[in-house]
Amino acid sequence: MSAVLRRLLVYFLAAWVAITVSFLLPRVVPGNPVAGAVARASQSGNCNAQCVIAVEEQLGFNVHTSLWDQYVQYMGNLAHGNLGQSWSENAPVSNLILSYLPWTLGLLVVSTTISFFGGTALGIWMAWRRGSWFEWVLPAATFFQALPYFFLALVLVLIFGQTGTMLKWFPSLFGYDIYVVDPGPNWPYITSVLSHAILPAATVVLSSIAGFILSMRNQMVTTMDEDFVLVAAAKGLPTRTVIWYAARNALLPVVSNFTIAISLVVAGQILVEIVFNYPGIGFHLFDALSKLDYSLVQGIFVVITLVVLGANLLADVAYVLIDPRARQAA
Amino acid sequence: MTIDSTALTQAPLAGPTPKSMLPKVGLRLPRSPKVIAGLALLAPFAVVAVIGRWISPYSPNATDPQHWVQHVLVPGTGPGTGITANYYPLPLPPSAEHWLGTTVFAQDVLSQVLTSTQATLFVGLIAAVIATVLSILFGVTAGYFGGNADEVLSLISNVFLAIPGLPLLIVLADYVPSAGSSILLVAFIIAVTAWAYSSRVLRAQTLSLRNRDFVEAARVTGEGRFRIILAEILPNLVPIVAASFLFTTLYAIYAYVAISFLGLGGSPTSSPPGLWNWGEMLREGFANNAIRGGWWWWWAPPGLCVALLGTGLALVNFGIDEFINPRLRVAGLTRKAAKKAGITSHATLGMTPVVGNRPAVPSLAARSQNVGDAVLEIHGLSVDYGYGDDAVHAVVDCDLVLRRGRVLGLAGESGSGKSTLALAAIRLLRSPAVITGGQVLFHSKPIGGDGPRGTIDMLASDKEELRSVRWSEISVVLQSSMNALNPVITIGAQFDDLLRVHRPKLSRSARVERSGELLDMVGINADRLRSYPHELSGGMRQRAMIAIALALEPQVMILDEPTTALDVVTQREILEELIGLRDRLGFAALFITHDLSLLVELADEIAVMYAGRLMERAPAASLFNAPRLPYTHGLIHCFPPMHGKRERMQGIPGSPPDLNDLPKGCAFHPRCAWAMEQCRHDVPQLAPVNGSAREVACWLHRGDAKVPAELARPDPGVAEVHA
Ligand SMILES: Nc1ncnc2c1ncn2[C@@H]1O[C@H](COP(=O)(O)OP(=O)(O)OP(=O)(O)O)[C@@H](O)[C@H]1O
Ligand code: SF4
Ligand SMILES: [Mg+2]
Repeated sequence: MSAVLRRLLVYFLAAWVAITVSFLLPRVVPGNPVAGAVARASQSGNCNAQCVIAVEEQLGFNVHTSLWDQYVQYMGNLAHGNLGQSWSENAPVSNLILSYLPWTLGLLVVSTTISFFGGTALGIWMAWRRGSWFEWVLPAATFFQALPYFFLALVLVLIFGQTGTMLKWFPSLFGYDIYVVDPGPNWPYITSVLSHAILPAATVVLSSIAGFILSMRNQMVTTMDEDFVLVAAAKGLPTRTVIWYAARNALLPVVSNFTIAISLVVAGQILVEIVFNYPGIGFHLFDALSKLDYSLVQGIFVVITLVVLGANLLADVAYVLIDPRARQAA
Repeated sequence: MTIDSTALTQAPLAGPTPKSMLPKVGLRLPRSPKVIAGLALLAPFAVVAVIGRWISPYSPNATDPQHWVQHVLVPGTGPGTGITANYYPLPLPPSAEHWLGTTVFAQDVLSQVLTSTQATLFVGLIAAVIATVLSILFGVTAGYFGGNADEVLSLISNVFLAIPGLPLLIVLADYVPSAGSSILLVAFIIAVTAWAYSSRVLRAQTLSLRNRDFVEAARVTGEGRFRIILAEILPNLVPIVAASFLFTTLYAIYAYVAISFLGLGGSPTSSPPGLWNWGEMLREGFANNAIRGGWWWWWAPPGLCVALLGTGLALVNFGIDEFINPRLRVAGLTRKAAKKAGITSHATLGMTPVVGNRPAVPSLAARSQNVGDAVLEIHGLSVDYGYGDDAVHAVVDCDLVLRRGRVLGLAGESGSGKSTLALAAIRLLRSPAVITGGQVLFHSKPIGGDGPRGTIDMLASDKEELRSVRWSEISVVLQSSMNALNPVITIGAQFDDLLRVHRPKLSRSARVERSGELLDMVGINADRLRSYPHELSGGMRQRAMIAIALALEPQVMILDEPTTALDVVTQREILEELIGLRDRLGFAALFITHDLSLLVELADEIAVMYAGRLMERAPAASLFNAPRLPYTHGLIHCFPPMHGKRERMQGIPGSPPDLNDLPKGCAFHPRCAWAMEQCRHDVPQLAPVNGSAREVACWLHRGDAKVPAELARPDPGVAEVHA
C-alpha cells in the first residue's frame, strides 16, 4: 500500500471514529440527552408524550427505531452536511458552525504560522549559537511551554486587557466591539476585529512558540553533528548555506510531529477562546456544553477533528516536499 | 505545550545501543544540572501531594466570616436584573492570616492550593501509568511482531493520534455523567486520549531493536518471543518509556486542569462532590470575575503550580533526552570553561578554536630543508577534547610533512587519533575539540583556478582565509562518507552549490557539464546527478564524495578511510581509481587507514600513530617490510595481506589504551612484547634511526638496547640506495 493511501486511510478512519463516537455517546451512555431536554421542556409547561416525541425529533434521536437505522440516518444526514438542530440557538448546527469557523481558523492559522516559523527560526539560531548567552532562552522557554494556555490568557488579560486591572491596552472580550461596530466590510469593523485578535493570538503564539523553539533547537543540534553539515563547512560554502543544509534536515522530524503539535495548539486555543469570549468554535463548544446542547457539542467536535485532520494533511504535504525519500515512497 | 523531547520526536536513534549499558540504564540518570533543578522543582509537589491536606491551615471549603469586610455584587443579581441583590464577600489579598489571600467565598487560597495538589498529581500519575501500559502493549507488540499485527496496531494508534485529544476528552467527560466524581474514571479517559503517541515511538524503537545482533542471537538460540520481549527488548526501552511516562504525566495534568477549568472535572460543591484540584480553582476564579476584580492571588497560584510542575517534569525529561541522545549534551566545553580558555564556545563548526601559546616554529622553508616540495607542514600539533582537568589529549605534539603530489599514509588502530590529527590541521574538528598547540602551514601553488598563493598559517587564519583554501585547495573525504552527502538534495545540487561558490564565472550549463565529467571520472554515470543520495549504493556514495572532493582540482586531499564499510572488491576498484587520478591530476594526499598492507601499495611515506602520538615514520616499503617499532610490527601482522600467501595472524595482544588513563612512559608498553624497564617510565621521542630517513619513537633503538631480529630486518629502501 502506498504511503499516501495509508495516510489517507488513517485520516478517513480518524474522521469515522470521531463521527461514530459522537453518534454513539449520547445514545449508549445512561441518562441520555432527551431526558434532559424533556426535563427542560417540562419546566416551562407539561411535556406530554407528543411533546417528548417532538423533542426527540428535534434532537435527531429517534429512539423508536433501531440503533443501526439511526446510525444510517445520521451518516446520511452528515453526508448532506446536516449536523442536526441546535435547540439553544434554534438553528441548524451546520450553519452555526460555519459562522463560528472563520474566527477559529483565522486565529489558528495566523498564530500557528507566526509561532511555527518564528519558533523554528529561533530554534535554528539557538542551535547555531549554542553556548552563547542565548542559551538562557532555554529555561525561559521551558517555563513558558509549561504554562497552560488559558492561564497565560488570564495573565495577559490581567496585565494588558481592557477587562483586566492594569494597563488596559487591548480589548480582551469578544471578537469585535459588539456594541459599537456593525459587522461587514467596513473599516471600523475590520480594525475592531484585528485589535480584538491581538491578545488571543499573542496567547496562542506565546504558549506554543516555546515548543517549536525547543524541538527545532534540539533537532538542529543533533543534525549539526551530521557529517554532511561538516562537509558543507569544509566545502567553503557560505555560513548561510551551511545552516540551511542542517536546518532543512532538522525540519523533517519537526514537521512529522506537527500532528501532535497542532492537536495541542487546537486544544489550547479552545480554552483561550473561552477566556476571551472569542466567538470561535471553542467558545461555542463551552457554551453548548453549559447549555447541554448536545447536537451542537457533537457537531463542533466533528468539525474540530476535521480541522485537525486537514492541518495534518498539510503537514504531510510539506513533509513530502522537503524529503525526497518520502516523495519516492509516495 | 508542545513536544520538545527529541527522544520522543526522533525516529529510532541511529546510534547503537550497546548491550553493556542495559543493566544500569534504569538507575543512571545523568546528574546534570537540568535533572537536579527538575527534581528540586518536583520534590515539594510530591511532598505536598501526600501531606497537603494535613498542613493546610484551614479547610479548603471553610469560609472565614471574621475577615469579611466588604461585599461584591453577585453577577446577574441586583438593580436592573429583577433579582434581589446578592453579595459575595470581597476577596482578601494575602495577609498574615491568609498567606495567599481568600476567594470570593472567603475561603483560604493556600489551603485550597495545598489540598488540590493531591488530586491533580494523582490523576496525572494514574493516567500516565494507564497510558504507558497501553502504549507498551500496542507499540512493542506492533514493533516486534511486524506484519499484519503491526499494520493493524499502527493503524489504530495513528488514528488515535490524529483525533485531537482534548476535544475528544471534553466530549467523553461530558457524556460520562459520573466522570467528575471519580478521578479514576477521569484518569482513564485521559489515558485513552494520550497513549497513542508513546505507542508510535515505542513501536519505532522496538522495530530497530528487533534487528540488532543481540536480539537476533536470542532468537537463534530459540528463546520464546515473550522472553525476548521481556529480557531483551524492554530493558532497552527503559529510557524511552521513562521519557514518555513523564511526557504523559505532564499531558494528563494539563488535560485534567483543562477539563476541570471547563467544569467537567467535578466541582467540590456539586453532587456527588468532586475533588479540589488546580483546574477547579482556576474555574472558580474565572467564573467569579477574579480577573476583572484584579484578584490575582486567587487564580495565579494554581496556574503557577501547574507551570512549575510542568517545568520540573520537562527538565527531568531533558535529562533523559540527553541520556538517550548524547549529542544534546554540552560536551566538554561548557560556557565557563570556554570563557576561561579565552575562546567562544559557539559557532565552532569549521573553525576549531586554537588556544595556548603556539611557539612560532620555523617552517621547513625557513630551515631550508627540502624546501620546494612541501605542501602541508604540521609541527608540534596537539589537540584536546574538552578543556581543563578532564580534557582528553587526543593528539600530542605531532609533526608531519606532506609533499607536493605525494601520498602520505597515516596508520594506527582505531582511536589512535588519526582523524583528529588530520581534521585539526584544517580546523574542521567540532566542539569540544580545542587545538592546544603547534603550527600548520599550507604552501599554496594552485593547480587550477585562481586560489591564493603563498604560505597560509592555518591555525592563525580567520574564517574568510580558511574559506578561500577550503575545498578549492584542500578537500576532504570524511571517514564516514556514507553520511557525507546531504540526504535531501540531489547529487547534482551538491556539485552545483560548490561550483557556484568557488567558480562563479561558470554558467549553469557549464557547471552541469563539469559535474557530469567528474562523476564519469570516478565511474558513475552522469545521469546520476539527478539522483538523491539514498538512491545510490554505498560504494557509489563514496565515489560521488571523491568526485566532489576532486571538483576544484585541489592541491591536497585528505582521505580518511575513504573505503571503509565496502567489500574488498569495491575497495580495490576505488583505490585503483584514486591512484590513477592522483597520477593524472597531481594532488597530494593524506591517506588514513588502519590497513597497512593497503597503504604500502599506495603511499610514498607512512606514519604510524599510537595513543595520540606519532611513533614511526618511514618510506612506505621500508616501514612495511622492515618495521622498527614493535607496534608497527604488530599492525602489519594483524591484517592478512591483500594478495600473496596468507601468514598466520598474530595481531597485538590487549586493546588500545584509554586516553583518560594512559600508561606512563611509552603508552604501548603494557602490550609490547619487548618492553623494558625504561619503557615504563620515560616517553620515547621520535628520532632518526641510524642516521637513515626513518624515525622511530622506541627505546629499543636508543642507546645500547639489543634490537630483536624481527625489528632489525634489512631496510629495502636503504638496500636500494646501496645497490
Ligand atoms: N568528541 C570527542 N570527545 C571526546 N573524545 C573524543 C571525541 N572525538 C574523539 N575522541 C577521542 O579521541 C581519540 C581519537 O579519535 P579519532 O577519531 O581521531 O581516532 P581514529 O584514529 O581516527 O580512529 P578510527 O580509526 O576509529 O577512525 C579517541 O580515543 C576518541 O575516543
Ligand atoms: S618504547 Fe618500549 S614499550 Fe614502547 S614500543 Fe619500544 S620497546 Fe615497546
Ligand atoms: Mg578516524
